[in-house]
Amino acid sequence: MEPIMSYATQDVWTWWIAVYLFLGGLGAATLTVTFLTDMYLKQHKCLVMWGAVSGVVMLGAGSAMLFMHLLHHAAVIHILNPLVLFYKPDAWIAWGTQFIIWMMWWGVLYALPYIVESPFYQRLPLVRHLIRWPFVLKIAALCERYHKAIGWLATINGIGTAVYTGLLLQSFPAVALWHNPGVPLLFTVSAFSTAMAYLLLVLHVIVNRPEDHDVRVFYERLDLMLIAGELVILFSFYHYMQSGSEALYRSAELLWTDMGWLVGFIGFGLLVPFALELHGVLKGWSSRLPIVTASVLVLVGGYLLRHYFLYAGVYARPW
Amino acid sequence: MTRYAMVIDLNTCVGCNACMAACAMENQTPVWKNKWRTYVHDKEIGTAEDLHRRFFPRLCNHCSNPPCLTVCPTGATYQLDNGIVLVDDERCMGCRACAMACPYDARYEVTYADVKTATEFYGEPKRRHPSMDKCSFCAHRVEKGLKPACVETCVGSARMFGDLHDPDDPVAKLVASGIAQPLLPHLGTKPNVYYIGDLKRRG
Repeated sequence: MEPIMSYATQDVWTWWIAVYLFLGGLGAATLTVTFLTDMYLKQHKCLVMWGAVSGVVMLGAGSAMLFMHLLHHAAVIHILNPLVLFYKPDAWIAWGTQFIIWMMWWGVLYALPYIVESPFYQRLPLVRHLIRWPFVLKIAALCERYHKAIGWLATINGIGTAVYTGLLLQSFPAVALWHNPGVPLLFTVSAFSTAMAYLLLVLHVIVNRPEDHDVRVFYERLDLMLIAGELVILFSFYHYMQSGSEALYRSAELLWTDMGWLVGFIGFGLLVPFALELHGVLKGWSSRLPIVTASVLVLVGGYLLRHYFLYAGVYARPW
Repeated sequence: MTRYAMVIDLNTCVGCNACMAACAMENQTPVWKNKWRTYVHDKEIGTAEDLHRRFFPRLCNHCSNPPCLTVCPTGATYQLDNGIVLVDDERCMGCRACAMACPYDARYEVTYADVKTATEFYGEPKRRHPSMDKCSFCAHRVEKGLKPACVETCVGSARMFGDLHDPDDPVAKLVASGIAQPLLPHLGTKPNVYYIGDLKRRG
């Protein structure tokens, strides 16, 4: 058989899956970083409440994006059942769905002891009645007792969700750009980098307290290292894509000649925030504006990475 | 144990598309949006002085290691002991991961609107739920001892269907001889649709 190959990108999973992967990774990593900060760096009830609520909202919004685009919505019941992991342990979407669902539960439960005593939530319509129920108060007390165990369960699920967003693409053998172990690594590093950026935004814009300076500096340093790591992985991808298969080479032609990828993602999504955060770590900034700008750029870059990665996947077709 | 496979001889395919029509009628595919379980590509190869026209029938390869089955989160895609890969449309939620995983472009969407149109177009509907549909090797015919509709209707006998595990089966013999080759074997999907290359084009 002498095939005559043709090469094509796909229009099956487009921007809506990029949003799902972005919000899934960002939401899960936000919850994980928030809880680890609270458990081991500095107890920070306000950050936990912001991180938990926004993380759960992000995970919910990302999952809703996937759900809305399903062809047969009622059949989603099959993957909401945790038993799916026993009869479909080889399907990453099954794992991802369970990670996300449990991540949301652990996220709410970890924050619950802080929420019930928070003056803000005690004033919030509907919520103020809900958190006064004896049942909810009992659960909150139980959560406080097992706070670290819940925090670690959330952490495991959070890391699992972030890795899953990359493993999902890796499980498609027909596309050389996706079917390699670099993808889960890249998406995980990117998820945690965007989470750092989001939490820096929270700590600079919403919870702007002087006593959190050490947490902000720690996040900036971590984000700097994550962006550096992301750049190294992307450099490796660039070289990997220069040869190996025609489909991979065509993916390289699509990605590395696209201004949205080069200028939008690599330039403004990685290099500019890297420079801004490096300056902040080495010499400091007199204003919070540069770090806020860097955080917004990292968040936009996080979406662009997934968007362009999906669009640049090339299939080799033997006809 | 039976292992069904198909051999397609590109030398005898005349591009009449009867296989597409037979399959569409048999399986109620959404032809109104140009979606088929089997499709015959028509390609011109060469230059003006030495031009060849090649017809290339394509369908689900019923892989022994099907990536569409692995990625399916609900278990809607499953495999019979005889190797035929099927879709349970009641269980399929239509996430399209199978379409992303398939190297042979064998999956297509059947939406709520298609289910409705199929009832008007074909009469008695064969499916009631949206799903990511694909070729079934006409499993419902095969279990009655019949050949798949596309094989039955092929005027050039380009399509042959048989059991790879029966050494006397002509399909098994063609595959064992090495004349018939699978598509993209390097991906490790172990496809069960084999092609005999168009010898005329290659001189």
